[in-house]
Amino acid sequence: MAGLVTSASIVVPDKMLEGAGITVVHDEVTAVDSQRKKVETSTGGTLAYDKLYLATGARSFVPPIEGSDLDGVLTLRGVPDAERIREVLDRSKNGKIVCIGAGFISMEVASLLAEKPGSAFAITVVELLDRPLPLMLDRDMAAFVKQYLEEKGLHILTGERVERLVGRNGKVVGVELASGVVLDADLVFMNVGVRPNVGLAQSIGLEMGRFGIKVNEFQETSDPDILAGGDCVEKINFLTGKPTPGQLRGPAVVQGRLAAKRLAGYSVAFPGVIDAGGCKMFDMTIAATGLTEERAAQEGIATVSAVVDSRSKHGMIPGVRPWKIKLVFNRDNQRLIGGQIVSYDIAPAREIDAVSAFILGGRTIAELTTFTSACNPDISSEPSAEPITIAAEQALQKIGR
Amino acid sequence: MKDGEKLVIVGCSGSGGPAAMMAKKLMPSVDVTVIRKEEFFIVR
Ligand SMILES: Cc1cc2nc3c(=O)[nH]c(=O)nc-3n(C[C@H](O)[C@H](O)[C@H](O)COP(=O)(O)OP(=O)(O)OC[C@H]3O[C@@H](n4cnc5c(N)ncnc54)[C@H](O)[C@@H]3O)c2cc1C
Repeated sequence: MAGLVTSASIVVPDKMLEGAGITVVHDEVTAVDSQRKKVETSTGGTLAYDKLYLATGARSFVPPIEGSDLDGVLTLRGVPDAERIREVLDRSKNGKIVCIGAGFISMEVASLLAEKPGSAFAITVVELLDRPLPLMLDRDMAAFVKQYLEEKGLHILTGERVERLVGRNGKVVGVELASGVVLDADLVFMNVGVRPNVGLAQSIGLEMGRFGIKVNEFQETSDPDILAGGDCVEKINFLTGKPTPGQLRGPAVVQGRLAAKRLAGYSVAFPGVIDAGGCKMFDMTIAATGLTEERAAQEGIATVSAVVDSRSKHGMIPGVRPWKIKLVFNRDNQRLIGGQIVSYDIAPAREIDAVSAFILGGRTIAELTTFTSACNPDISSEPSAEPITIAAEQALQKIGR
Repeated sequence: MKDGEKLVIVGCSGSGGPAAMMAKKLMPSVDVTVIRKEEFFIVR
């Protein structure tokens, strides 16, 4: 969408699959006959199977708001959407754009549009909750992001509900908020979440969960010959043990491999998701994993947390950039349950993977105070400023001995 | 799965693609077919 690469260059070519001996069929599966074990396609084809893996993904959710079918209302899911957006943007170099939803897709779209060379769009982001990236960041961390984005020229409206989209001659011209305010809009991007594609699974009568197809830890569905994974299945949150959508690429990839391993006779179980994700807006990189404090509170988990400022290199090295991390611990068992990073450099954001590993390993506050990181003047802060240990130290002091 | 059996994968993006590659790697004699409805299968 940014125009940095062609559509063809970001896809894994069929050659890779075919070279491995896999048959690739371009068609839509319209029906599954699970009794006779065959699938039917839109062109009248039939394919027999011994085992079936459903990886039908998800689609953008368009809320039932008046006007959401107007011309100029766009969502972003796949390459065709990105190409459609580019076409529209190539025709208009300025104008008013409203992004509905302040999740990571919406915020990345907004920053790309703001940075589009030769363009001068006035961009407003409208979010129902009280902050940008509300599923990734707590209020304290999101405040830095909001301030940064506003400095970059984005207009961020939080705590505002979209009432309807206003149209003229079939084209969107405005966004009316519940507060009565009407924002002028030449284009509206609607990115308020996704819904699993479960039509085929439902038609077979597979057991469904609240967030998608129900599978066990080996990706097996209620039909012994059908496995499923990725965005179309319901996941289990590793920390709460509760069903969750978990619609991210990491789980999709790993569940695909895991299903293949199961079919080959392995018994590797999927541990559940921790919703580790990241995004980049202008020069700011955000990454988060596990539970926010807010989410933990909703789950009835008492927390202790710490926010620590750090730097991308040793203080005396040219090009040093600031970043900050928040760690969230379960106050009762003192285990790490969440982390959030806001960084003015890309590299430090990768520390989120260390946080994820500590969460999955059940590490406690005390254990993290003794963590020693790989340290070098050009690639990290001084060990004395290593923020994971400092956050743990602060949390330790908050809970006492 | 046994030699010569058929694995059909519906969808070939984040999950379907890796499933197909891993299945073929671990079970070279299984017949693996992926079906996807669009020309490009990757979302991101
Ligand atoms: C703009 C955008 C940015 C994203 N960025 C990130 C990110 O930075 N990090 C991250 O972790 N995740 C990101 N995601 C989410 C990530 O892309 C998904 O979690 C991942 O693609 C899920 O893979 P999947 O295979 O389950 O589903 P999908 O990628 O949706 O693929 C499903 C496939 O199944 C096909 N299909 C469906 N039904 C049929 C049928 N009946 N017949 C044939 N084919 C069918 C579809 O056409 C598609 O090819 C992003 C998503 C979007 C939209």
